[in-house]
Amino acid sequence: MKNYRWLIAVLVLATMLIGLFTGCGAKEEQTPVTESPEVSTQAPTGSDKSEGGSDLPSGNVTIWYYWETEGHQKALNTLIQRFNDSQDRITVQAKYVPFADMKKQLSIGASAGELPDLVILDNPDHAAFAAMGIFADITDEFDVSTYYPGPINSCTLDGRLYGVPFGSNCLLLFYNVDMLEAAGQKVPTTWDELLEVAKALTTDKVYGFAHCALQNEEGTFNFLPYIWSTGATSYEINSEGGIKALNMMKKLVDSGVFPKEAINWTQGDTMHQFISGNLAMMINGTWQVPTMRETVPDLNWNVAPIPQDKQQASGLGGENYAVIAGGNEKAAIEFLKFATEKDNCLFMMQSMGYIAPNSTIAEGQFTGDPIYEAFVEEMNYAMARGPLPEWPDISDAISLAFNEVITGAATPEDAAAKAQATIDEILGK
Amino acid sequence: MTKIRKGFFRYDNVGMLFVLPAFIYMISFVGYPIIYNFILSLQNVTVKNLRTGQHEFVTFKNYIDLFTHDDVLVRSIVNTLVFTVACLIFQFLIGFALALFFNREFWLSRPVRGLMMIPWMIPITISGLIFKFMFSNDVGIINFFLKTLGIVKDNIEWLTNPKTAMPAVIMTNIWIGIPFNMILLAAGLTTIPSELYESASIDGASKVQRLFRITLPLLRPTIESVLILGFIYTFKVYDLVYVMTTGGPVNATQLLSTYSYKLSFDMFKYSQGAAVANILFIVLFLVSLLYLRFIDTEIET
Repeated sequence: MKNYRWLIAVLVLATMLIGLFTGCGAKEEQTPVTESPEVSTQAPTGSDKSEGGSDLPSGNVTIWYYWETEGHQKALNTLIQRFNDSQDRITVQAKYVPFADMKKQLSIGASAGELPDLVILDNPDHAAFAAMGIFADITDEFDVSTYYPGPINSCTLDGRLYGVPFGSNCLLLFYNVDMLEAAGQKVPTTWDELLEVAKALTTDKVYGFAHCALQNEEGTFNFLPYIWSTGATSYEINSEGGIKALNMMKKLVDSGVFPKEAINWTQGDTMHQFISGNLAMMINGTWQVPTMRETVPDLNWNVAPIPQDKQQASGLGGENYAVIAGGNEKAAIEFLKFATEKDNCLFMMQSMGYIAPNSTIAEGQFTGDPIYEAFVEEMNYAMARGPLPEWPDISDAISLAFNEVITGAATPEDAAAKAQATIDEILGK
Repeated sequence: MTKIRKGFFRYDNVGMLFVLPAFIYMISFVGYPIIYNFILSLQNVTVKNLRTGQHEFVTFKNYIDLFTHDDVLVRSIVNTLVFTVACLIFQFLIGFALALFFNREFWLSRPVRGLMMIPWMIPITISGLIFKFMFSNDVGIINFFLKTLGIVKDNIEWLTNPKTAMPAVIMTNIWIGIPFNMILLAAGLTTIPSELYESASIDGASKVQRLFRITLPLLRPTIESVLILGFIYTFKVYDLVYVMTTGGPVNATQLLSTYSYKLSFDMFKYSQGAAVANILFIVLFLVSLLYLRFIDTEIET
């Protein structure tokens, strides 16, 4: 009896160990990928179909994207379908990665060697990932001379092009026309007017003015136009202009026209407050327009340039395409060329409510639609964040500064000095 | 057969072989990440060198930088301790009171006790979102009640004021954690034989005496487990704070867990993020050792 038990024990153990070792074996095969960035798991698939002997790119191309709106996903799938139908060498497929996970997935993927072939990502993060070395240099593949400078800047690192702008958006002042008329006010164009009009519009139930002020990239995006409008750059917060911008923020909050709660509002939350009638004016972006038109067709609203201090300024948002280095690069580039053709680009832009990054396509994209035309016009004043690999760090310092001012944790001067110290250290000054 | 049974493959040693798969599993999936994380925290891995593999070895520079460069880490540690201790005390007291209450069999006591489990069953992100709405300044139901009852005049800026954000998050986590304490303590209570209470009452012991002389001493092992497990669960809370405040306003609710995530995946300072995670790990490791010690002494006694 004892012998049997012993035998069973050995057998069970052997089975378990075999399972384990095969598990380890599979892991082993992937390890080299971590060490040599040139090789990717995707690479072999590229050569699968190319046995025909031709040099034309072929194989599978996987795209990562983060749009959660159904309309956006459908548009991308339609574009991919068109491309797949147009030829039979390359098969493109898209994979949804939630926005909150995108950065994490890309950096984990970068160290584990499990990346897609193409990614559509938020433009302020582009430089950081390009610096990480996961994007292919495609300077010689695309002619981007007709593109707006802002979007192109966001794809560029050290004078080389590491991506192609997908589509752009920018920020404008949205206002509730009925509320403004009822209060007998005109659309504000300067900071003083903004404060005055916002005061007149604020009631028990309605805040005069707000924008997303989260302590993250989203908040920074909405706050930067204040700094830029004074003529200062994103890196000069402890300047006359930067302090003035923070002071403006403080005035808005202290006078009770700007809800403190905006530090917990995303841009989507802000838009919902606006369309629910809790907010008379807000700063928000191009991409909200289709939703607003669909959800509240009767709301009487309009857009205007963001009230300015010295000069007109707006934040440039949007996504870029980036080809992953070491992936199925050639096939990915072929898809990109297809996607940036006028008709296909227009199709994506129209379905998503974006502005084409290529000025020759953007002009005439929205003829007869005054709201979108205002956004296209504003594109000339829209500035890109960064581009700098350490931008996330800088952005964090800026968003901490205006959060300190909004919550009253620090004076504008102290907040600016502290943020500047962080920024200077990052820039190596 | 008899040959093999000598040496290492003795029957007595077969048990060790059974443990081997689990041991290998633990080494590769628990031990390796911990060691790797420790090494990562001693290097200088940022966006620029993540893929090149040339990671500069900087010994404890990351830790020193975190402590001296700004006060966010110290604040996170203090916040995490305040959060954990406050949650633990209230969760335990309320959970214990409810456990005693539901231990008395009365009409509907069982179904109501079941309903009390709901906060523990709801996904934390959902609870976080619900409480975020409830704590909202102008439209939140909590401010509405407080104002209607005349307790406060002006709306409390729960989640947007650095002073009140932490209490608001703590209250939410207490609500979530009560059922966990209640159910474990209630299970412990059922192990105390009712004869003890009967004889005590015959001897004329009051209810208070019965609680302090019988219930608490006999429940001590359970209480120790509940408190230590509660500490471990609370100390590493991440999702709730991330949903409600993302560590804000101005780092008022920044915990070690949220700070580590922020450093690693928002700011791409992988090594500093790893260093913060290690600090979190060391605290939890010490508490876990304490827990194992308690369990050991209980088995011995």
